[in-house]
Amino acid sequence: MTESKGCVLLLAGSPKPVEESGSAVRARTVIDGLEERGWASETVHLQTAVASDANTAELLAAVDRADAIILAAPLYVDSLPAPTLRALERIAAHRRDGALDQSARFVSILLCGFVEPSQNATCQLILERFAERAHLEWVGGVSLGGGGAEAFGKRRIRQALRLIVEAIDEEILLSFSVDELTEKPAMPSWLYVVGGNAMWKKAAKQHGAEERLRAKPYERPIA
Amino acid sequence: MAKVARILDGGRDDGVSTSRAREIAEAYLREKGWNVDVLRLAEIKIAPCMGCFGCWVKTPGECVIDDAGRDVARRVVQSDLVVYLTPVLFGGYSPELKKAVDRLIPNILPFFRRVKGEVHHVKRYARSARLVGIGILPDRNEEEAEIFETLVRRNAINMHAPAVESTVFCTTDIEETVVRRIEWALSEVIA
Repeated sequence: MTESKGCVLLLAGSPKPVEESGSAVRARTVIDGLEERGWASETVHLQTAVASDANTAELLAAVDRADAIILAAPLYVDSLPAPTLRALERIAAHRRDGALDQSARFVSILLCGFVEPSQNATCQLILERFAERAHLEWVGGVSLGGGGAEAFGKRRIRQALRLIVEAIDEEILLSFSVDELTEKPAMPSWLYVVGGNAMWKKAAKQHGAEERLRAKPYERPIA
Repeated sequence: MAKVARILDGGRDDGVSTSRAREIAEAYLREKGWNVDVLRLAEIKIAPCMGCFGCWVKTPGECVIDDAGRDVARRVVQSDLVVYLTPVLFGGYSPELKKAVDRLIPNILPFFRRVKGEVHHVKRYARSARLVGIGILPDRNEEEAEIFETLVRRNAINMHAPAVESTVFCTTDIEETVVRRIEWALSEVIA
């Protein structure tokens, strides 16, 4: 059996199953690239990991085994989903209290539902602070926008993901080229607004809720 | 009619305490004539947001999960001021506060519009609550304090808060400093 070059751990921060998560699917491209270069991989779904003490123990053991960690998550109200935060809090506490014989490299991939990748910026700062608190080596963060829509940006994103593979495999910092490749919105904002609004109406219609889209169920009673 | 303030307290017993800040904020707001409702989130079971968008396209305005998260969202809509009170975790909110904040998205519409050069969601309700963020750090950390203040401002844009302010203090700060900071932040938005 050939020995692997290292172990990369994918921390899937979306509450959705890994295969349905847009951020995890993009991270999977990086994992595939690393596997081609001889890396082994593991995946942990963070919402599941914080659901029980046993699952959390498995998460912490996986973190300790990893040579590189990729957190892939959607942006939820300018930050991470609550269970993902809880998992990161546990990891940081574990690494603060435990013996640190290994410092894994850490990369984040954030996917926001707005067209501008820059809306992930505050969350990337939070993740950089997490990396420091957890004694992980911050390699860099990749911010993607547009939810699942990449109408005009697929090639650029693929290139950016390839650069992450290189950064992890060759133990270098993430190239500034990644920012250049990903900072531009995948489509003009006016198009995203028009297309997105049509999509919401269509989705509501499929559920028979089109007429109630603007409902105000919690409107304050008039005094 | 007295205005309503909701304090979403994201502290928990085994972490950085929020009780002193909560008492200071509550006393100040009551003195100014506000009705104050405190939600101690660690004691409220709220399921995490699943990111299914059901609250936008299946049951518009209400989360598909029938639990206390709905009640928190309703109370936030029926507020004039919302206070996010939380230990600062990596510059952001505690998971306890965040589990409630994530469940507030039914309170905005799915539709997009451009606001100051960025795409954001459209308001669902004509009126939105003002927002104050109060963060508590276990030790002095300017970088995390700055991230926290940015996060509160970003949330205010996304949740359409008509006024926003935030403050961060350390558990080691003296009482006078803590009182001054909290009262200042609240006074900036309730004036």
